[in-house]
Amino acid sequence: MKNQVSLRLAMFAAGLCTAAAHAASLPVQAVNPRGQPLANAVVYAVPVNGKAPAVESGKKAIIDQIDREFVPLVSVIQTGTAVSFPNKDDVEHAVYSFSPPKRFEIKLYSGVPARPVVFDKPGMVTLGCNIHDSMVAYVMIVDTPWFAKTDKSGRATIENLPAGSYRIVAWHPQQRDPNALTTQTADVPPGNANAAALKFSLPAETN
Amino acid sequence: MPNLRIRSLRTRIALTFTALLLVVQLLGYFAARETITHAARLNTDTQLQQAEKVFNQIVQSHRDQLSQAAAVVAADFGFREAVATRNQGTIVSALRNSGDRIKADLVMLLDLDTRTVADTRISEENGALFPYPDLIAQARRTGSASNIIQLDGRLYELVVVPVKAPVTIGWVAMGFEIDSRFISLLTSTMSLDVSFLGKAVGGGWAVLASSLPQGSAAALIGPASQDGLVYGQAIRLSVGEAEYGARAVMLHSGDNAVQAILQRSVADAAAPFLRIQAALLVLSLIGLVVSVVVSLLIARGVTRPVALLTGFARSIGEGSNPPPLAMTREDEIGALAHTFNDMRVALDERERRISGLAYQDGLTGLPNRALFRDRLDQAIATTAASGASLAVMVMDLDRFKYVNDTLGHTIGDQLLVEVGQRLHAALGQQPATVARLGGDEFAVLLMNGDEGEALASARHLLALLERPMLLDGQVVDVGASVGIVCCPLHGDDADTLMRRADIAMYAAKRSGSGCLLYDTRHDTQTPERLSLMGELRHAVEHDDLTVYYQPKMDLATGQVNHVEALVRWDHATRGFVAPDRFIPFAEQTGYIKAITRWVARRVIAQTAEWRSRGIELQCSINVSARDLLGTELPDFFAATLKEFGVGPSSICVEITESAVMEDPAHALSTLEKLHGMGLRLSIDDFGTGYSSLAYLKRMPVDEIKIDKSFVMSMTQERDDEVIVRSTIDLGHNMGLKVVAEGVENDAILERLRESGCDMAQGYLLSRPLPAAKLEEWLLAWRAKAADTPA
Repeated sequence: MKNQVSLRLAMFAAGLCTAAAHAASLPVQAVNPRGQPLANAVVYAVPVNGKAPAVESGKKAIIDQIDREFVPLVSVIQTGTAVSFPNKDDVEHAVYSFSPPKRFEIKLYSGVPARPVVFDKPGMVTLGCNIHDSMVAYVMIVDTPWFAKTDKSGRATIENLPAGSYRIVAWHPQQRDPNALTTQTADVPPGNANAAALKFSLPAETN
Repeated sequence: MPNLRIRSLRTRIALTFTALLLVVQLLGYFAARETITHAARLNTDTQLQQAEKVFNQIVQSHRDQLSQAAAVVAADFGFREAVATRNQGTIVSALRNSGDRIKADLVMLLDLDTRTVADTRISEENGALFPYPDLIAQARRTGSASNIIQLDGRLYELVVVPVKAPVTIGWVAMGFEIDSRFISLLTSTMSLDVSFLGKAVGGGWAVLASSLPQGSAAALIGPASQDGLVYGQAIRLSVGEAEYGARAVMLHSGDNAVQAILQRSVADAAAPFLRIQAALLVLSLIGLVVSVVVSLLIARGVTRPVALLTGFARSIGEGSNPPPLAMTREDEIGALAHTFNDMRVALDERERRISGLAYQDGLTGLPNRALFRDRLDQAIATTAASGASLAVMVMDLDRFKYVNDTLGHTIGDQLLVEVGQRLHAALGQQPATVARLGGDEFAVLLMNGDEGEALASARHLLALLERPMLLDGQVVDVGASVGIVCCPLHGDDADTLMRRADIAMYAAKRSGSGCLLYDTRHDTQTPERLSLMGELRHAVEHDDLTVYYQPKMDLATGQVNHVEALVRWDHATRGFVAPDRFIPFAEQTGYIKAITRWVARRVIAQTAEWRSRGIELQCSINVSARDLLGTELPDFFAATLKEFGVGPSSICVEITESAVMEDPAHALSTLEKLHGMGLRLSIDDFGTGYSSLAYLKRMPVDEIKIDKSFVMSMTQERDDEVIVRSTIDLGHNMGLKVVAEGVENDAILERLRESGCDMAQGYLLSRPLPAAKLEEWLLAWRAKAADTPA
């Protein structure tokens, strides 16, 4: 988590960019039941009415393997994003997932695998390395382009939200039930006014 | 018989040894047994304590091994991949496959909610909750969990490990059934019995697995259910008859509780010790047998020689003469045997000496009385068989006491030796035995001798003895009196013969005839002696004796002023008993002293009575040698005279020469006292004894009485008349009055008167008369005297 802001998001679609002129930001904070800030919590917004725009084609994400760790630990991507797993260690890794949204296995490799893995279903995918049991990474695949990940202080901001009602969903890898999603609703007012900040208390013991 | 056996030293030694050994061994045996049992219990407890640790270690190590195996399986990519398929069939087959790899008996896949996803025991998913959530909780904490649990009445080591992909996506529970293999592993490692008991939900305990036989294992249910078992401590269990030490280990508590019971038989623990003890017991028994045998041998070694010694001592005791003991041992027994041999030799020697003493006279070397008796007995037996005869002579030396007293005992002894030699020499050629019976008494046994030969021999011997002896420079004359008896004429047993020979000898001595053949006349007193003695005593005590008085006439005046008192015994049944039948006998026994006093008292009393009636008579009283030897006679006379108020000059004491000569010194002393008191003294039977004139001169006498043997024959025998005349002259010359006894006719009386004799006594005048008769006689005599003036 040292390079916690290593999530690099591709540029949003042009439509969104247009809408951006009328878009607002939604600040979110995640804490554990004791009120301590939770880093690496995933938050995303789903419109209550209507449908969120599909992913831009060719949307890519990268999850590095550095010092026998996946970096970043937690990634949020929109459904259809292709994720590349560059191996930056001098040992080989074998990345796999048994998670139902995307099951795959990349046999032992060095460098950058030839083909990225496209995550085409929403859901939670846990990644591991077949020869390093301690390596773990979480990829939350969401059907919305509006998502964010909390920083050290447990804060995140969902940007470019058009006005409207949203279900705001939060998840944290260390929460007791890994499949549980915590949901709140939020209204984004028209204009450039920012939505009121949301606070999530997640049942996770660690940050 | 048992009594006899226990009395035997040998058996006692053996018994004692054996009993001691037995007691020691029994004590040892029971002490060892007690110690072994105690030690076995302690040992069992210690072993069980160790075993519990071992058990825990084995279970833990087994568990670790299984956990690792399960973890490896759960981490297998393929397995995880299969689990990830969510296909029930695939998952079950993958579970079975994995289970087979590590030989698990059941494998279950649980989701994160601990619901069963798949179970190798059943094909369909049943979604049941896993019954051991505590294991899941522990596995969640520590990465794996394991315990011994029961499922469907079977016992499993159940291992729970997470399935990670890479985060935990579920749990795999792998069960390894605790089977006989594992049980026997435990049993063989710990060498004790292990039982696992499980508690059914809401029910009691049941045996799930055990190394014990089924029945025995079931016996554990009781203690487990009733009391509940204490954990971590020694427990004592009884299964049937057998005692067990045990420890209970609670493996899993709660509804499905499982406990293990480790147990060890105390008997098994004691077994090796008991085997050693059994071996020791066998050794002890062998030792016992050996000790019995050895102690019997030792005892035999002691008792056999002891028995030999006992036999030896017994045969010595019985008087036989056993050969010396041949025992060469150097020990105490050998020393004892040596001592026994010495003792036997010493006994022989002493016996010879004692028999010498017993049968020989020490002084003369002649056989003694005992040997003489033996020989006599033998001779009588021989005589009886052959029909021959034998003779026994008993001889007593005359005046031996006189020789002894005057010349000393040395001369006396020499005299006896000389007599012995003379007798022995005289009879040397004849088949005869000469013996000294004691004192101055000798005896001769003549074989094959009749009365005539015996008399001849006796005379010959007497002649030999009468030859003067030169002893220590002194010439000594000795004579003897000999009594002769013949067998079978005078008796056919030794007692009778000896007694009769004695009697004959006394008769000879009394008569002065030298030797006499036994005659029944000599023996009149003898058969009655004892009763006579008693009757004499009775007579004296009851005044049955009588005093007779014989008058003595004064030859010058014809008056009778003197009488001699003579004792007479008129026995109630025997009639008149002559004085010579009881006086010598009384002298022998010493009873004469009592008679003398009785007579003296009577006479003094009579004298006093006569005087009171104007009859003045001087009475003579005979006193024996024994009276003179005592010292009390003068006192008696003084007291009695005083009692009756009689003057001493009224009493004359008559003594014989021989009485004085038996012990002249004493006699003279007594006579001096009597004379000093004023009593008159007279010597009786003068001329018959051997009195020396020197003594006569020294004796304070007033008169002498010439023995009647001279007086009676003085008118016929010229010699006797000479003696009588000479005696009268002698007496007058010494200033003594002379009395003649045995005056029986007028011729004698006339002759005596002519010779100047002072007084006469005899039948011519009067026999001895009782006092009353004497008075009459005196009246008559005085009347006659008045008629015929002298």
